[in-house]
Amino acid sequence: MGVRGDPSDAEVVARVLGGDREVFGLVIRRYETGLVRFATRMLGSSDAAADAVAESFVRAYRHLASCRDPARLRTWLYRIVANRCKSHLARRPIADVPLDDAPPVADPADSHGALERAEQLALVERALAQLSPEKREAFVLKHVEGLSYQEMAAVTGERIPTLKMRVHRAREALLHVLEDHA
Amino acid sequence: MNPIDPRIHQALDGEIARGNLPADLRRAVERLDAAAELLAAAAPAAGLESRVMAGIRRPLPSRARRLVRWLSTPQTVMVRIRPAWSLALAAAVTLLALVPLGDRWGGPMLGEHEGIAQFVGRFPGARSVHVVGSFNDWRTGTIALEGPDHDGVWRGALVLPAGTYEYMFVVDGERWIPDHLAEREVADNFGRENSIVIVRAVRR
Repeated sequence: MGVRGDPSDAEVVARVLGGDREVFGLVIRRYETGLVRFATRMLGSSDAAADAVAESFVRAYRHLASCRDPARLRTWLYRIVANRCKSHLARRPIADVPLDDAPPVADPADSHGALERAEQLALVERALAQLSPEKREAFVLKHVEGLSYQEMAAVTGERIPTLKMRVHRAREALLHVLEDHA
Repeated sequence: MNPIDPRIHQALDGEIARGNLPADLRRAVERLDAAAELLAAAAPAAGLESRVMAGIRRPLPSRARRLVRWLSTPQTVMVRIRPAWSLALAAAVTLLALVPLGDRWGGPMLGEHEGIAQFVGRFPGARSVHVVGSFNDWRTGTIALEGPDHDGVWRGALVLPAGTYEYMFVVDGERWIPDHLAEREVADNFGRENSIVIVRAVRR
């Protein structure tokens, strides 16, 4: 059992595979926020991200029996979403990475701090969108989703030195943009 | 673009303490931390549970309808090449193209519009491997692969009318796994990803 009696991922997977289809809702509630955030950062659009994650959950359900290590369900889900995002990005022109909210619209009710924060977010989002999908993926998995390099390797299928290099290059690109606007 | 001071990476990777950095490097680390924090905090709420569960409860459309939809929809094909496997596959395809199998080896005599589909997969520890696909109406348990050899590789071949077929492997009767060495893979809108084999007529 997990915290406060919540079933662990392995238990949930076993119950779904045993025929209790509705328990899969627990998987969705548990991981939806992180997966949508990751897909949004990859695709630059919350609508496209929601579609990608919804399709990924359906795919995960249909292929749940092929999840080799149910205790690492989270990593497996990130892998499915990452692949879905790559397919999505491959289908559209390279320069077409939309941003949902750039630049932010000033609301009179906003405090100065909130507005400044929104502008800063727009700047970071624009810089992120300029990275290659591979570097963007590496930076978001590492610094936004908080995955270890080992987990990132499981998600992406890449070697750890390759991922470290991508994270380093992404940091350099972002830092240059941020310093230019400091 | 100029690389940044490696100590920034070391601090961000937790390899050195941030407190030991010079002030300018510490500011750079804090800038990147703040950027990541902004990206993490602005998470949109999607409310996908009801939508996903509805998709799960809905029965899959028939194979024929999915094939029609796939044929009528633009597709992106992503191919990941492993040089060793690719060379072996190319050699096998060349052999198939050059050698009239039926006559020389006493194998199956092929009709004018028939070809051979070969299936190879590595499944160490598997007790059984079957192939299912549009060529046998996705019926499980009817076409068994032979194996495993000492490397855990299972193999099989089918004589099929020339054409394009979707297929998957079924390991131990329950795990449906696409063939990662397939010529192509295709994903539909219902969460499945099937492998594609193109059978070409040996005699033209």
